[in-house]
Amino acid sequence: MFKKADNNALWAIGLSLVLFFIGGLLTTVVPPLVDSSWSKPFENHDPAKGVTGKLVPLNEQQKKGRAIYVREGCWYCHTQQIRTLLADTKRYGWRGVDAPISTPDEFVYDDPHMFGTKRTGPDLARVGGKYDTQWHRTHFRNPRDLVKGSIMPPYPWIVNNPEEFNALVAYLQSLGRSKDWRPANDYEK
Amino acid sequence: MQPQFSKAEVANAPEGAVIHDDLSAKWFLISSVSYFFIVGIIAVIIAAKFVWPDLMGTMSWLTYGRLRPLHVNGMLFGWLLAADIGLAYYVIPRLCGVKLWSEKLGLATAALWNVIILGAVVTLLAGLNQGWEYAELPWYLDILVVVAWIMFGINIFMTVASRKYEAMYVTIWYTMGCILWTAFVYLTGNFATLFATGTNQANLNWMYVHNAVGLIFTPIGLAIAYYFIPRASNTPLHSHKLSMVGFWSLAFVYVWTGAHHMLHGPISQWLQTIAIAFSLMLLIPVWAVVYNLFATMKGQWHQLRESVPLKFLMSGVVFYLLTCFQGPMHSLRTVNAIVSKTDWIPGHAHMAVLGCFSFFAIAGTYYAVPRIWGKALHSDSLANWSYWMLMIGGLGFFTTLWLGGFWQGWQWNNVSIPFIDTVIALKPIWIVRFVSGLMMFTGIVLFAYNILATALGNPEEAAV
Repeated sequence: MFKKADNNALWAIGLSLVLFFIGGLLTTVVPPLVDSSWSKPFENHDPAKGVTGKLVPLNEQQKKGRAIYVREGCWYCHTQQIRTLLADTKRYGWRGVDAPISTPDEFVYDDPHMFGTKRTGPDLARVGGKYDTQWHRTHFRNPRDLVKGSIMPPYPWIVNNPEEFNALVAYLQSLGRSKDWRPANDYEK
Repeated sequence: MQPQFSKAEVANAPEGAVIHDDLSAKWFLISSVSYFFIVGIIAVIIAAKFVWPDLMGTMSWLTYGRLRPLHVNGMLFGWLLAADIGLAYYVIPRLCGVKLWSEKLGLATAALWNVIILGAVVTLLAGLNQGWEYAELPWYLDILVVVAWIMFGINIFMTVASRKYEAMYVTIWYTMGCILWTAFVYLTGNFATLFATGTNQANLNWMYVHNAVGLIFTPIGLAIAYYFIPRASNTPLHSHKLSMVGFWSLAFVYVWTGAHHMLHGPISQWLQTIAIAFSLMLLIPVWAVVYNLFATMKGQWHQLRESVPLKFLMSGVVFYLLTCFQGPMHSLRTVNAIVSKTDWIPGHAHMAVLGCFSFFAIAGTYYAVPRIWGKALHSDSLANWSYWMLMIGGLGFFTTLWLGGFWQGWQWNNVSIPFIDTVIALKPIWIVRFVSGLMMFTGIVLFAYNILATALGNPEEAAV
C-alpha cells in the first residue's frame, strides 16, 4: 500500500489525505457532538449540584471592552482558565474562597475565545469584581504605580478615552461572574 | 540522469542538460531573508520590553501586544515559510529532472506573498487582530494566503506530474504532504473558527496552531533536510524504508494532538487523554527521521568542519530530536502542571522554529544561493560567524527560558508566593534572554548580509 506511493503521485496524495482526515475529523468535528457542555450555556440553581449561577451574553458595552482586550493583545500575557489544579483554584481565589474550576459551558458565548497560552501576568478568568474602577484607572495608566515590579505596559490612550476605558473595565468586571462563587457577593468593595 | 544547472551557473551548458531559471526561488529567498532581518529587530525590541517595560510604551502601535503578533507572524510567514517555499522551487524541479512548471506563476506568487506580509505589518500594528494565536491576520489577508498557497501548490504538483524520474524521493512526498495538509489545517484555523465559539473554537484553534508546526513547518522543513543533508555531504540517504516509516506515521499521528495545549483546562478529559496518547506516539516519526539522518552522516561527520550548511543542518536535526522529546513530555499531565503557561514554552517553541526549522532553511539558503546566482558565497568566515552566533545565542535563549520557566512553575504551585514575586524572580532570566537574543540577531544580520551581498554584490567573483 505504502510502496505504491513511491511511484504514484495520486496514490501518495490520496493516502496522506486519508490518514490525515481520520484524526482530523475525530478530534475536531466529533468532540462537540459528544460533549454537550461545549455548546450549552452554564446554568445551575441547585446548590446541591455545586456552585450556582447562570451564563448571560455580554451587553454592548462589555462587548466593546472585549474588542479592546483583543485589539491590545492582553491575551498574550493573561490566560482565562482556572485549571483543574490547586495551583489555580487557590491562587486565583478571593479572601479565602477557592476559585471554581473553569468549565466549557462558561465560555459558550466567547468569540474569539480568550483562554490564552502564556501567563506573563496573572490569570483573569475570575478577576471580575476583585478591583474597583479607580484601581483599574491607576493600574492602566501605569501598572508600576500600584504593583511594584510589574512588567505590564502602560495604557494611557485607553485611560484618557473615557468610553474605551469604561467599556474595558465593564468587560473585566464580567469575567468569571456566571458562577456565584464568592460568599454574600461582598467582593464589589 | 542528465546534468542539471542553474542558468547563471554555466556559460555553455552541455548538450541535453536541464537549465533551471530559478527566478521564483530567487525572489522568495531574497524577500524572506530581508524579512528575517527586519522582524529580527522587532524580536529584540519585545525581548527588551521584558527588561524595560516602559520602553516605547506610550505609543499604542509599539506596545508588546501589537509587536508580538507581528514578530510571530513575520517570522513564521515572512521569513520561514517564504524561505521554505523558495527552496521548494529550487529543490522540486531538480528532483523531478524538469524545469519548474511555470516561473511566471511562481513570480506572481512571490509578489502576492509580499503584499500579504506588508498587509500584515499594517494591520497588526493598527491592532486589527482576530484574537487567535497564529491566525491573527484579518480575513481578507487570510483569503490572499489561501490564493497564494493554491498558486504554489499548482506549480509544485504540475512540476511533479511532468517529472522525468518515476520514483519520487522522500523530499517530494514531504513537500506534497505539506501543501495538502497546510490547506486543510489553515482553513480550520482561519475559517472554520468563524463558525464556532468558546471551547469548540479553541479546539479548532489549537488544532491549527499545533499543526501549523507539525504539518506545515515540519514536513517542509524535513523535505529540505532530506534533500540538503545528502547533497551537502555528497552521501546517499541511509534508508529509504525508514524515511517511509517517518512520513506515513507523521501523516497519521500528528493531527490528533491539538488538545494537549489545553491540558487541565476547560476541555473534555477524554479528549485530553487522546491528545496525550498521540503526543507520545509522535516519538515514532521523529526518531525514524533522526536515526535516518544521523546514519546518513555516519563516517562523514568530519565534513561539518568545512561546511556551514552541514553545521546548520545537523544542529537542526539535534534540535529537532530535543524539541520533539520535550513536546511529548510536556503532554504528560504531571509535567504539564509545572511547565504549562510558563516561560518554558517560548523556550521550547523557539527551539522548534528557530533551532530546527530555521536552521534547515538557513542551510538550504547558504547552499542554494551561490549556485542560483552562479557566484561564490560572499564570505565563508562570516557564514561561520553567523552559525556560532545563532548557535550560542540560541542555546542561551532556550536553556535560560527552560530553567526560568520550570522555576516559575514551581513557584506558581506554591500558593503562598504572591504572583508579583514570581514576576520579579524572573528578571535575571529575561536579562539573559535579551542578551542571547542580541547574539541571535547578530547571527541573523551576518546571514542576511552574506546572502544579499552574494546575490546582489560584485558579479565578477568566480563561479562555484
